[in-house]
Amino acid sequence: MSVGTLRRTRGGVGSSARRVDGVPKVKGAFQYGSDLWAEEMLWGQTVRSPHAHARIRGVDIAKALSYPGVRAVLLAADVPGRKTFGLEFADQPVLAQDRVRYVGEPVAILAAVDPEVARRAAERVVVDYEVLPAVTDMEEALRPGAPQVHEYGNVLHHVRIVHGDPDAPADVWVEGYYETAMQDQAILGPEAGMAVPADDGGVDLYVATQWLHVDRQQVAPCLGLPPEKVRLHLAGVGGAFGAREDVSMHIHACMLALRTGRPVRIVYSREESFFGHVHRHPSRVWMRHGATRDGRLVNVYARVLLDGGAYASSGAAVITNAATFATGPYEVPNALVEATRVFTHNPPCGAMRGFGAPQVCFAHEAQMDRLAQALGMDPARVRLQNAMKTGSVTITGQVVRGSAPVRQVIERCLALPMPEEPAAGPRDPQALPGGAGNVSRGEGVRRGVGIAVGYKNIAYSGGFDDSAEARVRVFRTADGPAVEVHSAAAEVGEGLHTVLVQVARTELGIEHVTLHPPDTAIGSAGSTSASRQTMMSGGAVQLACRAVAEELFRRVRARAASAGRTLRGELTLADGRVLAAGEPVGEVDNYLDEPIEARRTYHHRPTQPLDERGQGDVHVTLAFAAQRAVVEVDEELGLARVVQLASAHDVGRAINPQGVEGQIEGGAAMGLGLALMEEVQLDGGRIRNASFTDYLIPTFLDMPPVVSAVVEEPEPGVPYGAKGVGEMATLVATPAIVAALRAATGRPLNRAPVRPDDLIGLAPPVASGPPPPAPAVPGPRPVPHYHGLDAGQQELMRPESD
Amino acid sequence: MIPAAFDYAAPATLDEALRLLRRHRHAKVMAGGQSLLSLMKLRVASPSFIIDLRRIGRLAYVKEDKGAIAVGAMTTHAALAAAALVRRRLPALAQAAEAIGDLQVRNVGTIGGSLAHADPAADYPAVLLACDGVVVVRGPRGTRKVPAGQWFTGLFATALRSGEIVVEVQFPILPAGTRSAYVKMKHPASGFAVVGAAAVVRLGRDGRVADVRLAFTGAASHAFRARAAEEALRGQEPTEAAVRAAMARAPEGVDLLEDLVADAAYRAQLVRVYGARAVLAALG
Repeated sequence: MSVGTLRRTRGGVGSSARRVDGVPKVKGAFQYGSDLWAEEMLWGQTVRSPHAHARIRGVDIAKALSYPGVRAVLLAADVPGRKTFGLEFADQPVLAQDRVRYVGEPVAILAAVDPEVARRAAERVVVDYEVLPAVTDMEEALRPGAPQVHEYGNVLHHVRIVHGDPDAPADVWVEGYYETAMQDQAILGPEAGMAVPADDGGVDLYVATQWLHVDRQQVAPCLGLPPEKVRLHLAGVGGAFGAREDVSMHIHACMLALRTGRPVRIVYSREESFFGHVHRHPSRVWMRHGATRDGRLVNVYARVLLDGGAYASSGAAVITNAATFATGPYEVPNALVEATRVFTHNPPCGAMRGFGAPQVCFAHEAQMDRLAQALGMDPARVRLQNAMKTGSVTITGQVVRGSAPVRQVIERCLALPMPEEPAAGPRDPQALPGGAGNVSRGEGVRRGVGIAVGYKNIAYSGGFDDSAEARVRVFRTADGPAVEVHSAAAEVGEGLHTVLVQVARTELGIEHVTLHPPDTAIGSAGSTSASRQTMMSGGAVQLACRAVAEELFRRVRARAASAGRTLRGELTLADGRVLAAGEPVGEVDNYLDEPIEARRTYHHRPTQPLDERGQGDVHVTLAFAAQRAVVEVDEELGLARVVQLASAHDVGRAINPQGVEGQIEGGAAMGLGLALMEEVQLDGGRIRNASFTDYLIPTFLDMPPVVSAVVEEPEPGVPYGAKGVGEMATLVATPAIVAALRAATGRPLNRAPVRPDDLIGLAPPVASGPPPPAPAVPGPRPVPHYHGLDAGQQELMRPESD
Repeated sequence: MIPAAFDYAAPATLDEALRLLRRHRHAKVMAGGQSLLSLMKLRVASPSFIIDLRRIGRLAYVKEDKGAIAVGAMTTHAALAAAALVRRRLPALAQAAEAIGDLQVRNVGTIGGSLAHADPAADYPAVLLACDGVVVVRGPRGTRKVPAGQWFTGLFATALRSGEIVVEVQFPILPAGTRSAYVKMKHPASGFAVVGAAAVVRLGRDGRVADVRLAFTGAASHAFRARAAEEALRGQEPTEAAVRAAMARAPEGVDLLEDLVADAAYRAQLVRVYGARAVLAALG
């Protein structure tokens, strides 16, 4: 038996291991989807609708087709298979057939030898539209006689939750109306991919996405190909945040590649990217909270409207989330929630970081402040007094079985140090609202503090089994043992691939871990969304590693037995060695004459869909967060500056503490964006600010220091006790900042983003009439149904020609 | 994006540039190109011929000339902001130059290019108006001087005629005791002025405002003098309250711009606030 030098295995679970993709990204060597290139490649271009609602009388492609350098121009009739696709419901046409339902809807696609030719040719596609009346307001869409977006009406889905006695009396009532705007994910890498036709008549699609397998499930039927002939490979992803859950250029590039027999690349421009992906649903929320005189919540009513735009996307799941989280992380004995996801002729909305929770968190946290004010109580105390804990029952009747350290996140958040008060005298303008442009001496600047608490589910809910598969292989190299991990899980910038490597290191005691490129050659890993991948794919890698270790231990025992020895105690792995009862037995290397490989699938605990009263054990597990914001407002300019964000997060266990911190800061930035600047501005369904000059997102200059505390109460029954952390910071940042703005100005701000006009009283709070009546329950169908990999999609819209 | 194809010439002398301009009627003159190139990349502008002035070195200077600060048209914003003469005698001009775009833009963009382009949100126009500056142009019929008040004629429109090129900008040197300042709200992404205000103020022996000129950019289709506010302030004690009271009249009679970043009501507020802050900054 050889004896090697002991090398400690570094970078395992719990350490801030260096990101596996960090160095190439910092050096600019990382290949993003927009860097894809192939010899003889063609450039794809999309012709989009300029109208929110129109009938297509005809399309003349002759001029585009005859333009020199153009290789193909395709229309709806050229879609080889199913004409529609969609995440939950296949309602979205690959190319518009006889009708367009939003500005930016793809009507035609073409491929040309260079992008300039493609662009010019696209201008030569002549579409004859008959413009029809459009409905672009979510309340109008619910009124009788409104233009119908689909033949089945303007409601995708309605969720009613009846909990306890919705007529229960209370001592004190507060009422409010709230709105949040359409937010863009602002992914820095626009939609990008390349389709390469294969010899077997199939196609290889390299694409920046969040879930390769769900893409394939939508792409293959539209191409009329069996799934095995549509092979997807993950291209470098420049941010996702929900924007890459839906199919964008995937089917188009494949159609053009199959038609021309050449690789076709499609990369959206920034402007096109605003039309190329779904956005965060704009919301309108009416709420009424009733409490006892000593501040215990008794009864909550919530009416939630989400404008989903023209197609379903993941809207049914988003509205279910918004409904189930509508009352916040508090014990609420009686509640009635009516939540409707509406169709309009606006651009489609779907998944974005927080997935329905931010919209209601903005409302319920404003309500908690109102309640505190009505009761003359401290806002933190009202929240602490009503905080959920393990054993609490949610408004869907779900018993919270896992860790629920709501009190702890609030207390830890409030214990974080406050920023220093500004010194007397003139201040550095860079530190004032508006930065260098403030040009005051800081005399008209008012400070305010606000807090918010929120929660959200980890992984998919409502009975869906979004399992994750991984394959792990251990083999010998000249440098000692090495591990290869194969998972289809998409690294979208959040650090998942580093987490998978950390898991393998910890489980196998081997530091040298490489990742096989993610593709559909392995089973699904589920989506990189819903804060689920650390738990799900981390769990799959853990299972596969343990299976590998089992085989390794079998070999160790067999060899010992053949040498006439019996190994006592439990076998373990550490630092490249096998140990028995903690004592070294030998090097792992010595047992790898044949590599060891195992493939395993991780499933989370089963859940249930909501029943007709909105009751059910619907969510796998829950994560909580509290945020405190300190803001300053220039009361003449109406400009605000966030001075500090302090937050405490329930993460179960931090697999990579630095990664957790990064998620908290990045998520807070996105929440700050929605609080102060980010809004996709629509005018009759047309996006007015489809550029980063006009759609503002926070920069370094806008971001304050973020101080954070991590509450680690391991979640029972999940790998390492780790919950996800991707979304919680986003949903609490917006209400905390707006609460701070209310405190600074004394104004009842009820819409995010808050504009300067709102802060200086040039615009009154947004007003509303009474909430629209709820549609009949359980209809109209469809009911929410995550389409599983085996379940298939529901047909809302029949393909017109098959 | 990539601009459409165009022909290009970079003459070494102004005369050659003028000759080229006569020959190519649809040519576009490019100074620093910091506005033009953006428009070309967005395909808002697709000129077929570009006459680049950057090889004409003699147009970049800052000097004192007959009671004025004379600035060559090809002087960059960075050079102007750094010029000791400007910083000492006309702080508003240095402040405006320094507030333009970002460092890269300031190192390449020029005052002549900016004034010829006449973006309604550019910074110089407010200073030019508040200082009663003069734009010197040369064309087929020789040189002519256009007073600031006649230069801006509309959105991206000036008194520059076909075949003419801006060669110099003159700012009269302010009498001793006259003070100036330029302040702006910078668009967070573009750096242009959402509203910019230039103030030139002189206090009399009695300590009251003897003379004031106040001009705004970014607020309307082109820069304008706020004469009603000037009138209201003249003869007043220069207290903060008096300045603010006078500024209530600053947006009077102006058709304010509305865009994604500011509606008309908010722009009016910005005009009032930045007007006051400019006057107070000038008074020091």
